[in-house]
Amino acid sequence: MASFATEPPPASPNAKSRRRAGAFIAAFVLFQFLAPLSYLGREDASDERFTWRRFTRSDEVACETSAWVERADGERRDIALESTIHQQWVDYVQRDRRAVVDAFLQKQCEAPGVLRVELVNHCDDARGTREYSLRCAEDRSATIRTATR
Amino acid sequence: MRSLERYWFGDVALARPYLALRFVLALLAFDTWLNMIPEGAKYGVGSFNVAHFPWFEGFVPSSGFYVGVLSFTGVLALSQALYRPHRIAIVLIAAGYTLGWSCSLLDSVAYHYLLSLYLVCFVFFPMLSARSAFSRSGEAPRGSAWAYVLFCVTTATVYFYVAAWSAAEGQSYWLPMLCCAAYLVATMQDRTELPALRSAIPLLGVAPVVFHLATPSQDWLSIYTIGIALIVFAPMAPLHQLGTWLTRPARNLADEPSTGGIDERASRLFYASLLGLIVAPMVSMFIDLPGVKTGCTLTAIAMLLVMGRQLYLTPRWRPVWRVASLMGGCLALWITMTASDAQFDYYQRGALDADRRGDHDTAVELREKALRHAP
Repeated sequence: MASFATEPPPASPNAKSRRRAGAFIAAFVLFQFLAPLSYLGREDASDERFTWRRFTRSDEVACETSAWVERADGERRDIALESTIHQQWVDYVQRDRRAVVDAFLQKQCEAPGVLRVELVNHCDDARGTREYSLRCAEDRSATIRTATR
Repeated sequence: MRSLERYWFGDVALARPYLALRFVLALLAFDTWLNMIPEGAKYGVGSFNVAHFPWFEGFVPSSGFYVGVLSFTGVLALSQALYRPHRIAIVLIAAGYTLGWSCSLLDSVAYHYLLSLYLVCFVFFPMLSARSAFSRSGEAPRGSAWAYVLFCVTTATVYFYVAAWSAAEGQSYWLPMLCCAAYLVATMQDRTELPALRSAIPLLGVAPVVFHLATPSQDWLSIYTIGIALIVFAPMAPLHQLGTWLTRPARNLADEPSTGGIDERASRLFYASLLGLIVAPMVSMFIDLPGVKTGCTLTAIAMLLVMGRQLYLTPRWRPVWRVASLMGGCLALWITMTASDAQFDYYQRGALDADRRGDHDTAVELREKALRHAP
């Protein structure tokens, strides 16, 4: 049989609960204020995550990208980005999204016999031309990367 | 009580946290199914991935993983919106949803991060039943709900930064700044003694509505924000009336008090609940997407975890309603997937990408599946 009784509202928090809640509130609000400010210290200005700078996708113009690998036998082979990774990753690379460019270069280094990976982004705006180079060391950890305008 | 303490722990109309939680959870369920799952085919392509956070380094989520996580999150979210939510379930929803978007930069929709912040707030919301949030006497129940205040302050923080970045770029910033101020004072409207403030706060709710109608945004952000604004700023009386009307079925559900011990009828309900937990995820067999079956099965396991002792202890009907809410979530997922273009979009986008990459065998296979679900 159905019960129509109205349940009491939840009890008001006691002093101990309030102190705990207060500490959580302070930490949570502080985190929310600091997270967007991290943008000011970001190396990659196109990385606008967690900043509330815009609610729409970035309308930044894509750059023209070319990439190639240098193999141990001296052969230089072009990489067709579109046939290697999903188009959305290609878009990130063409917009010079640093984390994705770095990961892409690292990924190419995983192939056997690759000595060096190069990627160049030619942009028709203030970003100019950026070159990325990754030397694939034997242990995959000692790498050199340069980014130039 | 000091003013800061009064701000965070002062009374609010319980209808607000009740409706805000249900509204966001229900919308989140359909958002994950209709907007996120169709994007799932691009996950795992080329074994390449970059996550939002470094702790996912080296992890390449497959499309099955992504769709499974979202099915799990959506079904659990809708089940919690349908029947009285449980804190463990909200923790699992927050974890699942955050895992869903944060495991890859392929999902860089700004408001998904905001929803994760909301879900963290929801974990600390009072877990209200319809009967405790809406009285039949007409007087709206009030109580302390600091997490609801935090929810409003979280929203205010977003508008603050929208205004700040606009100001930094030399653009107009007064409207988002007004939204920020509105959300900061909104929680005071149910306890303020000042009639002027009580009348002014609902009017301030127009600011976020206008802002989101005028500002283009991704996906369903406007629906979330306008819905939340209506719940947060609406005057108490009409909101309580609306809530009372909406929750009439929930308030009339049978819920016998505990009599102690387990009798024959309690055993029957126990076995019925167990059977329901097994049957509910089977609905996912009719959904032709990778990961959905696993996601729905995990939802049933999560529900078992949520119910815990409730499964064999009284109030006896509560496990039945919980299992019914899970069944409702699974059925809603199935109906949504079959009635919408979600499955078609998933396979069609996958086929287009496979074609572009020169993987024609995969493209043909995906296109055949897409045709099966063509609108």
